[in-house]
Amino acid sequence: MTDPREVRLEDLPGPKSREELEDMKAPYEEYCRKLFDVGNEYVKPAALDGIRWMSCTMYIFTPHSVSNLAELGAEVIKIEMPRMGDPMRHTSPFNECYYYPLHDTRPKTGTGIGVLNANVNEYYITMDYHREEAKEPFYRLVKMSDGLTECYRPGTFDRWKQSYRYLQEINPRFIYVWGGGFGYGPKAFGGSYDILGQSHAGLASITGFHEDFGGHPVKHTNWCIDWYSGTQITVAILAALYWRRKTGLGTMIEFSQVQAATRCTGYAVPLYGRFGVVRQRWGNWDTQLCVHGIILCGKSDYPDEKNPQLRNEARYVMVSAFNDPDFKELCNIIKRPDLYEKYKTHKQRVEAEAQVEIYREIEKWAADKSRSEVVRILTDAGILAAPVKNDKEVYDSEHFRQRGSVRWLDDPMMGDVLCHSSFSCGLLSETPRRKFWDFRPVGADNIKVYHELLGYPMSTIKKWYEENLI
Amino acid sequence: MAREVKEVEIKSRADTLKQRPWPASPPPSREEVAKVYARRKAEEFGAWCEDNLWFHKRFDKPEALQGVRVLEVGQWRLGNMFAGSLLAELGAEVIKVEPPEGDPVRKYTPFGREEYMLKDPETGEPCGLEFIHEMRNKYSVTLNLETPEGRKLYKGLAARADIIFEEYPPGYMDELGIGYRQLSKINPRLIYCWIGVLGQWGPEKDRVSKFGQWMLDPFAQAACSFIHNTGYPDDFLPRGSGGDPTRSGVWLCDYVAGEQAAVNALAALYYRDEKSGRGQFIEVTGAEAMLDILDFDISWYGFNESIKARTGAWDPNLNQYAWNPCKDGYMMIGGQTDRLWYRIGMCIERDLPQFGRLIHEDPLLKEMAARNALQALTKTYTLTAMWLRETNRVEAEEKLMEYEIAAGPLLYIDETCEFPHFKYRPWIYSIEDEHYGTLLYATATTSFQQRTPARVKWLGRPLGKDNGEIFIKYLGVGQRMQEVLKEKGVI
Repeated sequence: MTDPREVRLEDLPGPKSREELEDMKAPYEEYCRKLFDVGNEYVKPAALDGIRWMSCTMYIFTPHSVSNLAELGAEVIKIEMPRMGDPMRHTSPFNECYYYPLHDTRPKTGTGIGVLNANVNEYYITMDYHREEAKEPFYRLVKMSDGLTECYRPGTFDRWKQSYRYLQEINPRFIYVWGGGFGYGPKAFGGSYDILGQSHAGLASITGFHEDFGGHPVKHTNWCIDWYSGTQITVAILAALYWRRKTGLGTMIEFSQVQAATRCTGYAVPLYGRFGVVRQRWGNWDTQLCVHGIILCGKSDYPDEKNPQLRNEARYVMVSAFNDPDFKELCNIIKRPDLYEKYKTHKQRVEAEAQVEIYREIEKWAADKSRSEVVRILTDAGILAAPVKNDKEVYDSEHFRQRGSVRWLDDPMMGDVLCHSSFSCGLLSETPRRKFWDFRPVGADNIKVYHELLGYPMSTIKKWYEENLI
Repeated sequence: MAREVKEVEIKSRADTLKQRPWPASPPPSREEVAKVYARRKAEEFGAWCEDNLWFHKRFDKPEALQGVRVLEVGQWRLGNMFAGSLLAELGAEVIKVEPPEGDPVRKYTPFGREEYMLKDPETGEPCGLEFIHEMRNKYSVTLNLETPEGRKLYKGLAARADIIFEEYPPGYMDELGIGYRQLSKINPRLIYCWIGVLGQWGPEKDRVSKFGQWMLDPFAQAACSFIHNTGYPDDFLPRGSGGDPTRSGVWLCDYVAGEQAAVNALAALYYRDEKSGRGQFIEVTGAEAMLDILDFDISWYGFNESIKARTGAWDPNLNQYAWNPCKDGYMMIGGQTDRLWYRIGMCIERDLPQFGRLIHEDPLLKEMAARNALQALTKTYTLTAMWLRETNRVEAEEKLMEYEIAAGPLLYIDETCEFPHFKYRPWIYSIEDEHYGTLLYATATTSFQQRTPARVKWLGRPLGKDNGEIFIKYLGVGQRMQEVLKEKGVI
């Protein structure tokens, strides 16, 4: 029984220490900066420490599902074909940028930057699954891992006796993921790419300018469906891990990226189902809000630059004023208060014909102004407007630098690599994401895994290497 | 492109409001599909997959996230809604906290057309399809957080929650005394995830207009160079008529931020339960989540100061890998390695003999990586489009499939909904909803699992429908007290 007269600090409401008091008093922004402590990620713990995952993946989609785990602290072993590696290593924009070497037998071949960001923090080993001798090390890895992600055509791993049918027998806690285009069903064996997801699943049909405006469906610049679907696999993996904590049982997840593209089309599917209306493209405007779109300004922000991407393209502004007072103010700024009188309610101005008229008038107003002038005038008036930025401006952005989402990394093998991924997936105060390296040469960690983890003597590894097994 | 004659004459809007039967034709039968497996000598494996992953067995199996309680507190945007949906589909109990007048997303409808909204059966209040489609398996409660009683009740809910997805302007909740800083004192196990467009701190953090209007998605797409890099260049199409930087047709950054929020929150949940016992603060933004998946674009600038330009429906990294116009729409063709690339040519050559001479025999196109040079792309696709303009999508797909090329037509939403494979699995499915009748929807992407498949239990929710149950269960606020609170404008 403690003395009731004794007052302990812990029992009183409010902050418990000076430090905590200062935290509670700090301006919000300062508090966030201090809590997330960008730049010191590596000294904090990682959320998935202790999880080991096998990545039998290629290209972008399935690798990204595992990369997310590796950024969060899981130990990932990426298995590639001997000598060749992931086909994505042979991909580079306009055949321009490569990092050397690809593999110790091919010093003059490089890894293209197409593969960047897809397999970070992983250990790179090689294995030719076709061969009987590969079965033993593969099964050894399965026994000591939490799960695996693969992307081969359905039935391929089954033929090699390494599908979930077989693996659940040797490790009941194993979580097995197949990711691909289609999954069971009539098109089960159809190959898939990101672009197939965009075109097949309806996303492309609603992106770009309508043909009445002279446009075609547009491909999203990045392999967005690959990346975006990969992250949804990670959601499923983490949920399976949560369930495994309770039951001790693994599962198999079959994930189709083409489906994921339909999933983000919003009202399109229910609209078709109920009313038979097929959602169409609406260019740079918004079908559900107005004014909420991108306009073309008359002058570039960099009229004298040599690079046409700066000289000709720095002319677009995102403008948003859909609420009544914002729209009224916008109409005043462009000196067309009559537009506000005409379209007083949001319902009136979001109509297609009204949108055509309103955006045309805003562009007329902007015809003799540069992008930054338009942004400045609107921002000064309290309206939301922002420039459409290019890669250089993102690189130069103080905002992204301070937040650590764009930064230079000193890669252990490749040297300076600009990183705009991993850290940018989100800030976590206790267990931040981090990147140690982006990729390593093909088979760089063979000894580490086959010798140090699986216990094979160096002579065996040498033999396998010479026989092209690894 | 020749325009098709429309079979349905549309004279007024009323003519468009006809419910189509879905599916218009039945999906293939299991016997037919078994033959597909057999052709690849995978009958046994195919049957095993269908037995173990079959969509229609999802309600026979448990839910992975049973027992996880999530609050979803946001307005105007889809990020928090998508994050909540992903967890709700997997079995978490997700409670959407809305202001008494409802989340404005409920009012979204294309071109302001109220005839496309569905009526709440009790109040008659119309609700937009965007909201209904993303309001999956979620409860709706109303709370006015600007009132002290509302905040008190919210704190009560937060004390019992595992995860909060919050999407309000930066610092708003903190100012009200219900941000992470305060709630983590009440509930140290709380995982608190803020979602936004650009950030809650930093020189270009999220802004609100002078009149209180929020920043919404295409701002994120504009800030990370996604829009600059997407679209047709102005030497393909005139500027102002399609040759411009182009936004995604959907609020893609919201979706990408939402799923990364779900990943981060679940990882934090794992860490809390497995190791620390403590929650944490998470921040995810649309612009940065998109930056993460923007291929190598900014790194390329870091490499040699390249600023990525627009290339329309072509990809600067792969040849062939694009869609091009054909007789009745667009046809996507992909095949990069020699094995596939020459096969595409062999197929085209049958109808267009000069393709072989001009493409296969061009010494500059012999090597795989060299085929990605801009002139190589231009030449390959010019000749491919020459073939396509005389061919329609079905013919092109049939011809390319003979050569086992990954090719497919660009489908419109109606065609997507009727695509045999999509109907078979199904990826598009209908649900008889308690409130809004039969709805067609895109199924949960994580539905195909051996043990814990995701599922959609209901779509949409009338505003505040679950006040009665949630308030008594978690706060002990009964019917009479709720009436008082309602009168005061708290709920």
